[in-house]
Amino acid sequence: MVMNIYKPDLMKVLQVRQQTGDVKSVRIAFEDPARAAEFSFRVGQFGIFSAFGYGESTFNICSSSNWKDYIEFCFRKTGAVTEALWQIEEGDTIGFRGPYGNSYPMEEWEGRDLIFLGGGIAMPPIRCAIWYALENRDKYGHITVVYGARTTRDLVFQDELDEWAQHERTTIIRCVDPGGETPDWKGEIGFVPNVLKKAAIQARNAVALVIGPPIMIKNTLPVLSDMGLAERDIYTSLENRMKCGVGKCGRCNCGPVYVCKEGPVFSLEQMKHLPNDF
Amino acid sequence: MSTIIGGQVLRDMVNDWIGDGKRVGGPGYVGNHLILYRWLHRSDELLLESYPRPHNSIKEFLFPSHEKLYHYKIDGQHIELSEAVLPDAQQIIFAARPCDAASLPILDHVFNWDYRDVFYNRRRSLTTVVTLACQDHDAHCFCTSVGGGPDDERGSDAMLFALGQDQYEVRCFTDKGKALFEGKLEESTRVGKVGPGPERRLDLETVREFLKTDFESPLWERQTLRCIGCGACAYNCPTCHCFDITDEKVGSAGVRMRSWDSCQMAMFTVHASGHNPRSRQPQRQRQRIYHKFEIYPSKFGEILCTGCGNCSRVCPVGLGITPVLTAIQEEQAARAGTGAAQEAGREKVDQ
Ligand code: SF4
Ligand code: FES
Repeated sequence: MVMNIYKPDLMKVLQVRQQTGDVKSVRIAFEDPARAAEFSFRVGQFGIFSAFGYGESTFNICSSSNWKDYIEFCFRKTGAVTEALWQIEEGDTIGFRGPYGNSYPMEEWEGRDLIFLGGGIAMPPIRCAIWYALENRDKYGHITVVYGARTTRDLVFQDELDEWAQHERTTIIRCVDPGGETPDWKGEIGFVPNVLKKAAIQARNAVALVIGPPIMIKNTLPVLSDMGLAERDIYTSLENRMKCGVGKCGRCNCGPVYVCKEGPVFSLEQMKHLPNDF
Repeated sequence: MSTIIGGQVLRDMVNDWIGDGKRVGGPGYVGNHLILYRWLHRSDELLLESYPRPHNSIKEFLFPSHEKLYHYKIDGQHIELSEAVLPDAQQIIFAARPCDAASLPILDHVFNWDYRDVFYNRRRSLTTVVTLACQDHDAHCFCTSVGGGPDDERGSDAMLFALGQDQYEVRCFTDKGKALFEGKLEESTRVGKVGPGPERRLDLETVREFLKTDFESPLWERQTLRCIGCGACAYNCPTCHCFDITDEKVGSAGVRMRSWDSCQMAMFTVHASGHNPRSRQPQRQRQRIYHKFEIYPSKFGEILCTGCGNCSRVCPVGLGITPVLTAIQEEQAARAGTGAAQEAGREKVDQ
């Protein structure tokens, strides 16, 4: 039988964690043990997830590629498919196709300082890389994470932020927009670019991964460039709408690149050559 | 030497194929005026004349407007998947226009780019394409501007040339074509002719130069703002292949469907965050032109257009490839003109 590239693998839901008022993370495992055994991916890749009866939706695989027993994804309730995913419980079955797309060049980044900058729901696609780097701690220099959200209630994976902070040579800075803090808030107040500036990180031989709303990315770039990072050292992951994930449906291109096949990870240097189509 | 066949033999062949369980698609009248490609039930539904060309394309014989990708059954927490039934009947696309057949080798690229699309490929391997060389053309045809022509052989297994009096010269290009006409042809000295084809009106080099530099040109806004985003151009285009994937569920069972979509739709690129990189119609029109004349060639070496003219033939507001590319050419000519005029002016001053 020839492979039907649109037919997903069936996945058992192992765990659902509500992260915020409208964000959940889900842990899933392959039903088919043979498929589970052969499956591998690289951090930064994405999958297409099915709620049967409702449709498919695209999310980054936000677990580390070192975790072999399951994969995780995280989503915000925004439409019919994510509404349906919101209802799933432990033991339910969903569909998964992937892994698709390119990945973070974790090998290229070895020996360098890593700066992770995330805004709001953009934490999951950074989380996989942070875990991967922490699990290979010797291979990387200082790790800085600046994670901002609108309010304290919008921060996802809060418990893991604490866990990361325990690691050596690791700085975790969390911030909320002005007004989004609570009386007992111990993090920073302000937007990611300002907080990054204030943190006055010694960026030596650093690479940065910046994911978040376009406005955050735009305002962060000048700060990184003041810190001495070249355009080829700044990476992001694009969030284009996708349907097929395999370069067929014609939906995800940004100028000449198909984000599903040639992305979603691009350096700023690569982005500079793309037309204003994102 | 040539090989010929009579129209009645052709029509008998069509009836025999249908009788044998093969599927035959070809042009025919729907009502009194509209000519469309569709599956035929009898040979008398077939229109064996070369003019005018159908308003749709043959792509739906290989890439149907909607099809099942697989089935699922929901039983509590358990899901069962089963494959959609793939077609297994031989199919013959008969009396297609060369600009339709030419789309198939072009579409082969995208449907096999790393991941092979089994639905398209299965139908493709079951299909034999017999084209009818064009004797005539209308104001929308522009095959000769995009590397095609009235007897373009790309994608054809065999081609018919009308000789008059219900006689046709048959040229077989592939084994599939030869097998189809095996034992049916008479030797002859008569050789079919084709019309001259539409006058060449577009210069793709000029267009490409513009596309290289003018993604942000005001021309897009000026020329394409009137597009109403109906998608008719895309659905009737032999090479447009964008699709959507959706679910249809009744009770506890459902199918995952794929159906035609178009980059002209407002929702086509909306991100989960609500951000839309192409929030305005001219940006969507620009995408269509870039995809066909810049992006696809950069990936697969061939433009995503065969010059059939259906886009402008069906567009309710007079857009389509030719009107837009013509505007681009005029813009380039005006620039060259201004450039030349400035040069001339400078020379005068210098003297
Ligand atoms: S160009 Fe014409 S046919 Fe195509 S979407 Fe716009 S209005 Fe419809
Ligand atoms: S998501 Fe279909 S082509 Fe990229």
